Amino acid sequence: MKADWKRIDLLRRNASELEADAIEQYLTGNVGRRELLRYGATIGMSGAVLATLGLVPETTPRAQAAPANQTIRAGIEVPASAVDPVTTGDAGGLCMLQQVGEFLCIDGPDLVLRPALATSWKPNAKGDVWTFSLRQGVKFHDGRPMTADDVVATFDRLANPKNASNALSAFKGVLAVGGTRKVDDHTVAFHLDAPNGNFPYYTSSDNYNAIIIPADFKGDYEKSFIGTGPFKLEKYTAKVGASFTRFDGYWGPKALPARTEFTFYQGMQSKVLALQGRQVDIIVPVAVQGGQAILHDPRFQIIRLRSAAHEQVHMRTDMGALRDKRVRRAIALSLDRKGLVAGLFQGLSDLGNDSPFAPVFPSTNTSVPQRTQDIKQAKELLAAAGHAKGVNIKLTTEKYIEIPDYAVLIQNFAKAIGVNITLKVESQSAYYGKAVFGQSDWLDSEMGITDYGHRGVPNVYLAAPLKSDGTWNAAHFKNPTYDRLVASYVAALDLAGQRAVSKEIETLLLDETPVIFGYFYNYLSAAVKGLKGAQPTAMAQLFLQNATLS
Amino acid sequence: MSGLRFVLRRVALSLVTLWLLSVIVFLGAQVLPGDVGRAILGPLADPRAVAALDHKLGVDRPLLVQYWDWSSHFVTGDMGRSLVYRQPVGPFLAAALANSLKLAAIAFLLVVPLGIFGGVVAAMNVGRALDRIITVTGLSMTVVPEFVSSIVLILIFGVWLEWLPVSASWREGAGAFTQFRHLLLPAVPLVLVLFGYIARMARAGTVEALDADYTRTAVMKGLPFRTVVWRHVLPNALLPTITVIATQMGYLIGGLVVVETVFHYQGIGSLIYNAAKAKDFPMLESGVLMIGVVYTIATLIADVLYSLLNPRIRFGGRE
Repeated sequence: MKADWKRIDLLRRNASELEADAIEQYLTGNVGRRELLRYGATIGMSGAVLATLGLVPETTPRAQAAPANQTIRAGIEVPASAVDPVTTGDAGGLCMLQQVGEFLCIDGPDLVLRPALATSWKPNAKGDVWTFSLRQGVKFHDGRPMTADDVVATFDRLANPKNASNALSAFKGVLAVGGTRKVDDHTVAFHLDAPNGNFPYYTSSDNYNAIIIPADFKGDYEKSFIGTGPFKLEKYTAKVGASFTRFDGYWGPKALPARTEFTFYQGMQSKVLALQGRQVDIIVPVAVQGGQAILHDPRFQIIRLRSAAHEQVHMRTDMGALRDKRVRRAIALSLDRKGLVAGLFQGLSDLGNDSPFAPVFPSTNTSVPQRTQDIKQAKELLAAAGHAKGVNIKLTTEKYIEIPDYAVLIQNFAKAIGVNITLKVESQSAYYGKAVFGQSDWLDSEMGITDYGHRGVPNVYLAAPLKSDGTWNAAHFKNPTYDRLVASYVAALDLAGQRAVSKEIETLLLDETPVIFGYFYNYLSAAVKGLKGAQPTAMAQLFLQNATLS
Repeated sequence: MSGLRFVLRRVALSLVTLWLLSVIVFLGAQVLPGDVGRAILGPLADPRAVAALDHKLGVDRPLLVQYWDWSSHFVTGDMGRSLVYRQPVGPFLAAALANSLKLAAIAFLLVVPLGIFGGVVAAMNVGRALDRIITVTGLSMTVVPEFVSSIVLILIFGVWLEWLPVSASWREGAGAFTQFRHLLLPAVPLVLVLFGYIARMARAGTVEALDADYTRTAVMKGLPFRTVVWRHVLPNALLPTITVIATQMGYLIGGLVVVETVFHYQGIGSLIYNAAKAKDFPMLESGVLMIGVVYTIATLIADVLYSLLNPRIRFGGRE
């Protein structure tokens, strides 16, 4: 695709301030194609503008013709509780929601937002009001049209603390009840608690509870599974499985498979065996631990997505030896990150640089040097902190995928610099406890390891675990400069502005090191060779409307 | 009448046992860390959302109120609603129990004759190579963890040879033969675990009975050896074996979490395990009591069989 310079000049003249800035950043080489695509999508830059820049074709043709009668079989984790758009927060449950429900926009595997039930969105100059234009002609599975009232009710329901909403922690300080307002039948304005340059992600598949459901929804979702998606419910049996059929009243291209079948599995091993025994065509997700049998089996394809999912190794900045940032830095410097990635993930992971800015985020400032293993410097730091003869630390963590192995590796790395770490590995419920300070091993332990799932933007990782008033601040890190920088980052509407702030944040966190971010692992799925067009996301969703099986 | 009184006394004792069990499970569930709201919403959920859900589910009420609420409904046949799945517990338990009973029945039908036969053959050949082979093989198989034997069996017969399905779950409406095919592979690890145990008990009982005075008398009376074994040795030799088999019923019905997980089978063992993890009290309590009932019935049947085979203990010491 070639850029059309005459049209580009015309675009520059007619573009909004944000769009003009984005075009300028791209043309001067400050941002690449992928970053511009992603940023352009976030601020609601139209497909026509991106096409003019030669970044995307004007229209995207569909890859395959539609075979009529195929059934695609998927194996997923058993939903941990009743499937409900308000409360569901586990991988199996949210995958079920996404089979029938749709979001205002979709956060794709490349982290680029794409229109879904909204056709476009724009912020005001300050970035605290975002206006979304809704797609017309969208129907729910019961035939009723989707309108702005449904969107307003959906977001008010999720932002209401009385509703046991799983999205409440995401919306805290971002969107409150009453903040979503109808402009007309097909336009909705979100009035935010504070300016937020990444707000569209909160309305996307990134915020997995935000599927649009009818305004009159009263609960008991498993009876209807109502939504606007390309599939509608055929049958759901709790703890066993579900099946869906093509929705002929769908607003977009009709789903290629006539039917999809989901079987629920408990744990990795039974899922892997089901794929090996050809009882399913695709399984999601696949962890390297437990999935080794199929990772290199030529009969299967591994769908690999870079993600921001990671484990945070927090170190209490207000307790014992870890109070001294030199001790924290020394432990971080003892880690052989490349070895970790090779050993724990067979290389299927990005390196972390002790900040939430994963390499997959366009706003990550890659000019900040990568922290690498340096035993000599680590020992010097320890000695300077008065611990030349060693120090004892207790690390508490949870039994979850690779975390116990990670804990042992950290223990071994730290031993090399004279830090003796004793481990306490416990069940997830014991580790998280009540999840409030004073009643949670996670939040009260001297040092710990906690899993964080994927997000399309780093906002949640930057705030809750690291801000002075963060509800997940296990490191008890209190730094006014950091808080101010995060507020600037969140409010920044342009990519260059975000990157400038992210450089300062990354540098500050490398110096303070309240949390070690050792790696950001890939999200893996496995499928039989003949399956094409199936699209998992790093949020455990699985889009099957374009899937075909040969 | 005495026989009826014996059974009634055992039933009354069983009811007290079940009530105690319900109290122990209830108190035990309170000791488990975490709460239902957080288990459903996830560890990172907002505390306000967790509190709202706990309130909605009624788990923020005093413990005694919760227990009374559940138990007063349970005695009327209402097992309550699952806190996690927000559906009545009854259908979940009925389906899971039916599945577990099917798997247990197949394993039982395979292992009991095999175990007894193996034990008797070993006893008849005490000290010889055949005895050693049966005893050592049985013991070795008993110590192999079920998840190891399960995965090996799946890889050989399910993945490599493709003779049997890798999953124990069948499609809706499947016939008896299809269900049997699905259950055959998961039944084998259970047979492997129990064979050695039952065979050893049967062997010990048979060796003892073969050495008993009444057996010697029967042989000296000139009875054919086969008749001696059937009429005099086996009825006495199998008494301890029957007790062992009965005590294994609880394991066969409710203790198959690993096998159910590996073979993707919706049995009552994994149902209870997951209910305990999620602190789904009505599901956990009803599930445990259901297994308690099955175990009690199995023990009662064993006691009755025992008393039929051994009239000396039939009427509680009034022989």
